[in-house]
Amino acid sequence: MNFGFTDEQLALGATVRDVARAHCPPAALRSERRPAWKQLAELGFFGLLLPPEAGGLGLDLVDLLLALEEAGRACLPGPVVETAVAAPYLVPDTPGLASGAVCVSVLLPGQVYAPDADLADLLVVACAGGLRAAPRQSVRLTPRPGVDPCRPLFEVAFEEFAEVARPVGPALRRATVATAAQLVGVARELLAVTVGYARTRTQFGAAIGSFQAVKHQLADVAVAIDFAAPLVYRAALSVDGATGARDTSAAKAAAGEAAGLAARVALQVHGAIGYTEELDLRFWLARAWSLSAAYGTTAVHRARLRTAIVGGDLRRYP
Amino acid sequence: MELDFSPAEREFRAEVRDWLARNVPGPLPSMDTPEGFEAHRAWEARLAGARLSVVSWPEEYGGRGASLIEWLIFEEEYWAAGAPARVTQNGIFLLGPSLMRFGTPEQREHWLPRMARGDDVWAQAWSEPEAGSDLAALTSRAELVPGGWRLHGHKTWSSRAAFADHGFGLFRTSGTRHRGLTYFMFPLADVGVRPIAQLDGLPGFAELFFDGLFAPGSMVVGEAGEGWRIAMATTSSERGLTLRSPGRFLATADRLVALARGADPALADRAARCWVEAEAYRLHTYMTARRIMAGAEVGPAASLGKLFWSELDLRMHALAMELLGERAGAGGWLDGFLFSLAGPIYAGTNEIQRNIVAERILGLPR
Repeated sequence: MNFGFTDEQLALGATVRDVARAHCPPAALRSERRPAWKQLAELGFFGLLLPPEAGGLGLDLVDLLLALEEAGRACLPGPVVETAVAAPYLVPDTPGLASGAVCVSVLLPGQVYAPDADLADLLVVACAGGLRAAPRQSVRLTPRPGVDPCRPLFEVAFEEFAEVARPVGPALRRATVATAAQLVGVARELLAVTVGYARTRTQFGAAIGSFQAVKHQLADVAVAIDFAAPLVYRAALSVDGATGARDTSAAKAAAGEAAGLAARVALQVHGAIGYTEELDLRFWLARAWSLSAAYGTTAVHRARLRTAIVGGDLRRYP
Repeated sequence: MELDFSPAEREFRAEVRDWLARNVPGPLPSMDTPEGFEAHRAWEARLAGARLSVVSWPEEYGGRGASLIEWLIFEEEYWAAGAPARVTQNGIFLLGPSLMRFGTPEQREHWLPRMARGDDVWAQAWSEPEAGSDLAALTSRAELVPGGWRLHGHKTWSSRAAFADHGFGLFRTSGTRHRGLTYFMFPLADVGVRPIAQLDGLPGFAELFFDGLFAPGSMVVGEAGEGWRIAMATTSSERGLTLRSPGRFLATADRLVALARGADPALADRAARCWVEAEAYRLHTYMTARRIMAGAEVGPAASLGKLFWSELDLRMHALAMELLGERAGAGGWLDGFLFSLAGPIYAGTNEIQRNIVAERILGLPR
């Protein structure tokens, strides 16, 4: 039993944080479609989960958790989860995947639209006949309005494709857990930014963060994040185990709700300035909402949990 | 990061599970009755006979020197087995750790083995009528006399004091507010005790009247004037891990899910949510245990845990009340519900805990 991150896992998280700070500042969210992507690719980020024979490092999802949290903290645009986490379990042999030269979006069971498909060189789509991989040139994309300006959604149609003879479960569960890890990061950033604002904004001659009505809301956010994160970390470890599907739903639902609460409180504490397009906060609010709905809404995962648990599956991992 | 138990940890779990399966008695009468109190004391002696009453303590005091992870395993098995509530709780989880850290060798040798066996059952005596959340406002005092101290004042909400043997609490010996408080132990036989019936009608706590009780120097824990620091070290561990370990909530969650089987989906949904949250508390505690085993203090993060478990416990029992309706008296749920209502109040109200999280973890101004 050693339920904490290793030095290597912490170091990978710190590296991604540094890259995101340097190359994906909030201003970049307004001007670039895929900031920091090139730098992450140079680090080998997109090959971390790929097996060595595909040019990757063969790491496990647990090794990437903090890096994914940092991607969430930075509100990093682009199909990071789809390319770095899902694709290695769907189309690992795709040339250029490890180097980050190829960008992937997915439309798997439970998703309605393909996220960031405008950036994708390859789309992996679950159809009635199985999984299909379609190259960009054969794909027609129809944009669908969504909540997140930096995570656009698309309806997908294509004619040319290759069959993908792999099970969808391992990729889908990992993408879901990875999205939950990003949600934890989004929530952490929303809390940090809001605490910073509450410390400096003064009314009635005092920082608004000195008022208990504000403090207690922020404390509740801290509690929600602190108790969602271990569920996410556990799900990364049990993802292929007997409790994997249930643990994945627990992680996604808890992380989505923590981020939703963080967004709600962040907006309330910021007040009118938070309710503007001008303040960068809007990007993190939108990311909390968009990722909460991605890979199964909170309601979908709660319903799965209810069916499993009240149905009698009380196995615990560990 | 890994999450599997070692062979030794699994072996320890199996031993505890096996012993409990063979020894846990049927439901005992409430520990807040004279006969129930003695039945719970006898159970503690039986636990101690198997060296299971204080597994994390050093062997010389009756423990096994178990790791924090092993202690958590013990707790999971203990509550899953439906074993009795711990009448020795105040002693073994509050005073005991303080004596180990701040007591003299003589105090440790005398009091800890007796505490571990249930020979002495201890009551806590922190609050006063005018000092609840604002504990530093306490006015009970100790005056220095030849050979020791004399205690004066009035304590209240003193858990277990109606039947316990001894008490411990803070008395002012000098200074104001947090400075000049001293940590005393005292025999309850020489204190005026007025039992107070709780919501369940039984005297789970009492008020205490001190009228010049003599306390020799050997009944002071740590240095005179250091009582606040010592008590806070204690309550930090209280809030952090030892007061309410995950095991009890895991057991409640399993029972709740069984109760919710076949219920309306909205209620079943809440039961499933509680079950997952009990797991979250367990996993969170494993992370905390790892930090402590690596030498870190729990510190203000203990308040995050206290908020989470106390509100989870209340949600679980309130849901059970909804599921049971007019059958609320069945299956022990009503006692549990009443007890869960106290959770957000004792060991520092949840309003105080939210202040601690906001000020000492998030860094918001006081």
